[in-house]
Amino acid sequence: MPAVTLNGVQVEASQGTTILDLARQHGVWIPTLCYHPELSLNGSCRLCVVEVRGSRTLVGACHTPVAPNMVITTDSPAVLKSRRLTVELLLASHSGNCWSCDKANLCELRHIAVELDVGPLPITLRKPFRTLEALGAHVVRDPTKCVLCRRCVRACREIKGAGLLAIAYRGFSCKVIIGQDDADGDAACESCDVCVGVCPVGALSKRADRFVPKTGQPLVVAG
Amino acid sequence: MTEQRLVLQNCGRVDPANIDSWLAAGGFAALDRARAEHTPEEVIAWLKASGLRGRGGAGFPTGLKWELTSKSAGPERYVICNADEGEVGTFKDRYILERDPFTLIEAIAIACYAIGARRAFIYLRDEYRDLLPHLRNAIVAAHSSYPLGCEIQIREAAGAYVCGEESGLMESIEGRRGEPRFRPPFPPSSGLWAKPTVIQNVETLMNVPAIIRNGPEWFAGIGTAQSKGTKVFSVSGDVAQSCVCEVPMGTPLREVVEGIAGAHDIKMVQVGGASGRVVPSARLDTPLAYEGVLGAGAITVYGEGRDTIEIGLRTLEFFAEECCGKCSPCRQGCEALVGILERLAQSRARASDLSLLRDIADNMMLASLCGLGQAAPNFVVDTLQAFGDEYLARVLA
Repeated sequence: MPAVTLNGVQVEASQGTTILDLARQHGVWIPTLCYHPELSLNGSCRLCVVEVRGSRTLVGACHTPVAPNMVITTDSPAVLKSRRLTVELLLASHSGNCWSCDKANLCELRHIAVELDVGPLPITLRKPFRTLEALGAHVVRDPTKCVLCRRCVRACREIKGAGLLAIAYRGFSCKVIIGQDDADGDAACESCDVCVGVCPVGALSKRADRFVPKTGQPLVVAG
Repeated sequence: MTEQRLVLQNCGRVDPANIDSWLAAGGFAALDRARAEHTPEEVIAWLKASGLRGRGGAGFPTGLKWELTSKSAGPERYVICNADEGEVGTFKDRYILERDPFTLIEAIAIACYAIGARRAFIYLRDEYRDLLPHLRNAIVAAHSSYPLGCEIQIREAAGAYVCGEESGLMESIEGRRGEPRFRPPFPPSSGLWAKPTVIQNVETLMNVPAIIRNGPEWFAGIGTAQSKGTKVFSVSGDVAQSCVCEVPMGTPLREVVEGIAGAHDIKMVQVGGASGRVVPSARLDTPLAYEGVLGAGAITVYGEGRDTIEIGLRTLEFFAEECCGKCSPCRQGCEALVGILERLAQSRARASDLSLLRDIADNMMLASLCGLGQAAPNFVVDTLQAFGDEYLARVLA
């Protein structure tokens, strides 16, 4: 049972627990986007970064196991600044059509942006133009809303066992693709919609659910 | 002129196509000695005592890395030689591979002996594929003239800069998309195919036979307190003579760029390639060592009259191109920095752009998943400090 310090409080952690698990056990909120409890770890969104004493960089809470005597700070100014800027960077190339997006108030990115008090964006980035794509008969994909968290890629491989989705291209041109990223790339897709359920934003949706009013808590956007 | 040839001692002296000339120069003496006189634990103890640290840029103590790997559980272990020399402006590993492949093979065999590995890989940069037959012949010749005790295979890279990063490299060898992994776990406990793995730069390994032959005290006697031995540099840019040279650790940067490469009227020197730190001319006496500046071995000289903003823009364009796109701070950050630097280059930057530039750079250094993103803004951060006026002059009033 390693004893660690979480935001100035001594707590006990069981062997192998990640910083994220520990924080959640103690009611400490850490934003996550690529993390999903049903999927393998990815560590790519970098929103769950926290400060660990002695580390040169911030560390990802979702994939870093606690170690004895670790001193963890989840809400220091440096941590909050980093998370805020990463969200701003993601939003800067995001489609930005929140008012007409089917994900509406269920969008995890919007929730995180509100929690982090992200206001008007200081950054301008290219917003890549990409057309809607079909995943089989029932699922529609809007790559302009994708935040490349790769949950769908992992869900297709790990839950469905199909492994049809993949990441292609590099850097800012990265894109989730199916097949060879051509017109009939989705021929093998059964439209099982496992990917739709894990998408944190409105990039994946079921045709039947589009343009249907959503219920849920209204979200007040800061700024 | 303080060149001291330790890593490069055989370069130019043996025929790289003929193992007999290398054997005549004392080839396999170190491997012989390691096996006959030392247990694997003793070899590792010698490396620890020598103070050898990784030459790929991060400077992790080599002996400690080998010790951690040898103590990890499991029968299967691997040695990887990182010959994916992708850093902009480095060509010293190529120089070694061309001129002295046999010493590298001997060093890999010693590493395998020390950690108990039976398989080793040389991950060869795609752009060096013309060296492939040459290296294959060298491995075959070494195998047929001496029992190496391990199988050495070459794995060809596919041209991605990020695969020089150790975890991206291992993903690539495993046949997946070349993208870094999160750490921990680190390679000594879980590396290639999740097995304990020692991964070393070409130059790091080249030091090992010399340490076994001459003893750790001899090696620890060269260099500075925290940086032992020598360092090989590829010097290029605004110099009289581009060259590969080897100097003791702690040598002032000035001696290399002015003394050996014959540069003059220097504005700044970038040590460590595109991801390296920038040393302005006023600080040319900075020692080349882990406690000063070092990097992976590229020294790029920029003369007076070079435009800082233009170099910064081209550097960030390179990183935006080579960024794998996995983590958000780097993928989005590189693109954002290129945008700001483009505005600066065209003298139409906004006043807020400079603070934004600094914030995005800080975030990349702190939050990126791998060394690429963490080091990509180095040039911009260092020149903002040293040549801030040039940035300010490009901001719209």
